[in-house]
Amino acid sequence: MSDLSQLRFTPSRPLTLGVELELQLVSLRDYDLTRAATDLLGGLHYDDRFGEIKLEITESMIEVNSRPRQDVTAIAADLDGLRQVLVEHCQRNNIAVCGGGTHAFHHWPERRISPGERFAFLNERYGYLSKQFTVFGQHIHIGVPSGDDAIWLTHALNLHVPHFVALSAASPYLDATDTGFESARLNAVSAFPLSGQAPDVADWAAFLDHMALLQSCGVAESIKDLYWDVRPKPEYGTVEVRVCDTPLTVDRATELAAFAQCLARYLLRERPPVVPAMQALVARYNKFQACRFGFAAELADPLRRCKTPLATALPALLEQLAGDADDLGCRPQLDRLRALAASHQGDAAWLRQTYQATGNLHDLTRAAADEFARPSSYCAQA
Amino acid sequence: MMPPRQGWEALQERLLFLPPLPEQLDPLALFALLLVAGLLVGETLFRRFGLSRIVGYVLAGAVAGPGVLGWLDRETVALAKPVADAALGLLLLETGRHLDLRWLNANRSLLASALAESGLAFVSIFTFALLAVGLSPGWSAATAAITMASAPAVVLLTAQENRAQGQVTQRTLLLTAISCALSFVVFALVLGVVHAEQAGDWLNAIVHPLWVVCGSAGIGLACARLALAIAARQAKGSAAQVFILVAVALLAIGVARMLAVPVFLSLFMMGAALNLADQTKVLAYTRLPEGHWTLAIVLFVVTGAMLPLDKLSWLTGLQAIGLIVVRGLAKFAGVVLTGRNDLPAAKRRLVGVGIQPLSATAIFMGAELAAIYPEVSGQALLLPLLAAALMELAGPQLCRYAFKQAGETEPPPEPRR
Repeated sequence: MSDLSQLRFTPSRPLTLGVELELQLVSLRDYDLTRAATDLLGGLHYDDRFGEIKLEITESMIEVNSRPRQDVTAIAADLDGLRQVLVEHCQRNNIAVCGGGTHAFHHWPERRISPGERFAFLNERYGYLSKQFTVFGQHIHIGVPSGDDAIWLTHALNLHVPHFVALSAASPYLDATDTGFESARLNAVSAFPLSGQAPDVADWAAFLDHMALLQSCGVAESIKDLYWDVRPKPEYGTVEVRVCDTPLTVDRATELAAFAQCLARYLLRERPPVVPAMQALVARYNKFQACRFGFAAELADPLRRCKTPLATALPALLEQLAGDADDLGCRPQLDRLRALAASHQGDAAWLRQTYQATGNLHDLTRAAADEFARPSSYCAQA
Repeated sequence: MMPPRQGWEALQERLLFLPPLPEQLDPLALFALLLVAGLLVGETLFRRFGLSRIVGYVLAGAVAGPGVLGWLDRETVALAKPVADAALGLLLLETGRHLDLRWLNANRSLLASALAESGLAFVSIFTFALLAVGLSPGWSAATAAITMASAPAVVLLTAQENRAQGQVTQRTLLLTAISCALSFVVFALVLGVVHAEQAGDWLNAIVHPLWVVCGSAGIGLACARLALAIAARQAKGSAAQVFILVAVALLAIGVARMLAVPVFLSLFMMGAALNLADQTKVLAYTRLPEGHWTLAIVLFVVTGAMLPLDKLSWLTGLQAIGLIVVRGLAKFAGVVLTGRNDLPAAKRRLVGVGIQPLSATAIFMGAELAAIYPEVSGQALLLPLLAAALMELAGPQLCRYAFKQAGETEPPPEPRR
């Protein structure tokens, strides 16, 4: 067990990007989740050229990680490459891979914990929560040059958690029921005791003190034990945004990465005032609003003591980021998000409309798997 | 005190509606008792000793059948045959639905494995029956056709019983479905060979296989289309769709029996046609109701009772064991030697073990042949039937072992308090 008070932050090139996607493995017979991850990896002959493919907590999940990249175009190429490798290999095993934040109708007691020490530890510690954690998220890593910058950016990005949630929401169905939420996935994450927001610490040194406290009380052994919405990741030299649902397509995943990169660039450049203690008062409520209502969320603003509709705040923010998008070469991705914020036709809306059209959740999942199998339009353009 | 018989007769004089005292148990009542006995033995073997339930069902039928205790005579077995036909038919319908040509198209090495294991099994068994046992070429081919396939009912029920999921399970199910399809085709050709060999009757030698194949395919296709057409008007996965699936399957069974076409082949064709023709997934998500386990008990109790255990001798037993060994090695080698880049060797070996079962379908195929030439088939069919009898007990265990070793099974759910 390493001493968390001595944790070193590995500096990385600013605004470097990395994307992790947790994906569903479904049976082609009924499109229910199936236990397939170990077999899939066991028969996979792949050289990691686009990034890693790894086990996740249960056997019905698989995680793909892009390589660290400087721009969104390279991220799109990695994600599309990983998508293609997985889709082809899944076909050989008579299963399909699919995006979305939750599986619409799986029965969580049927899930099986993946082999490995870490997964056994989580199962031992969290009991049934570990099987219920069969939900699927996108994590976005943004490189920062120092631990102090990582702590500041963590607080600054916390303010924008509802924006990420609304743009990525893709989990309206759970337990064969329309939950009424745009993103029901985050409710599964909230059950964990170490979920929520990073503590109000001013810099890296204060963060290390906090970690030492957690370690001395036996609460956390490593950063991996903390399921915060946004957290520093010292070994990668990044700040990790963890609140997005896995989108239905790699295009949307690329667009969310572009949004994170533009937003981080804007925040680090402008350094707007950030008051973590005040934000903490409304953070859970604002996240709930975005999960429940998506683009129609009403966000509480504790500084101005008012509420702000996300439907006006989000387009304004995207407009504000246009210059950064031009400089970073990701204007097409940001423009698509602007169109999305204007139409409110995100993945959750697509899932509901498709369910209306098909009338059953099996066909809905089949359509979602077909959607994920489509090649990235950004790679075709390149 | 008055003995029961006299008491009954005394009552009969006063109560006009009373029948004479029954001399023996009604066959249906006896059969029902056997089903319960089969169920209890199966559950005990499963819960206490970790054995497959199927072994218990077969044991109950075999012990009570004409070959051992004789509680179930041939008449009673014949009475239950339509129910067993329906059970096997429904299980073969499910097996046919596992014949996934899209998967074979996406993974050609699976096709190579399927052809290798079935082809090697046929050639090995044929050679063994011809050279080691001394059967005629026609009956050697019949023996090979009957025993080359894996047992679909056993594999399917073992997967369900253990809630198995994974590549070993999926591939065992697929290879079983393909070996069944190949076995049925070869069986139809063999029917012609047997006609030619036994009676020199060339008209029947040509027309009978055509009747069997075309009749089964016609019934299967027509019933699949009918089921899809009616089910398309119902909600997907609804109870109404389950009802339609079962009802049309029973219709197919009835028509097949009327036209003297093998039930198992017609229902297998129907399952395969449902899988291939159902482009919009009308019935793809509709499963047979849990009640098909009740039918499975009937099937295996009847199968157990049909086993010719009274004809088991040292020589026939050794010949049957020889066939099982030759067949087992051929099937195992066919899977292990192919698909090297597709599945790790350890899992290929487990698939090779999982496809070993041999049982009900073989026995029912044997019954089809025996019905055509009862006077000669008894001795000629003894070898495959005894092999099936021995594998009835070993097959489910081997299949379960493969799924369990692959880590693909789930422990049985805890009983509710």
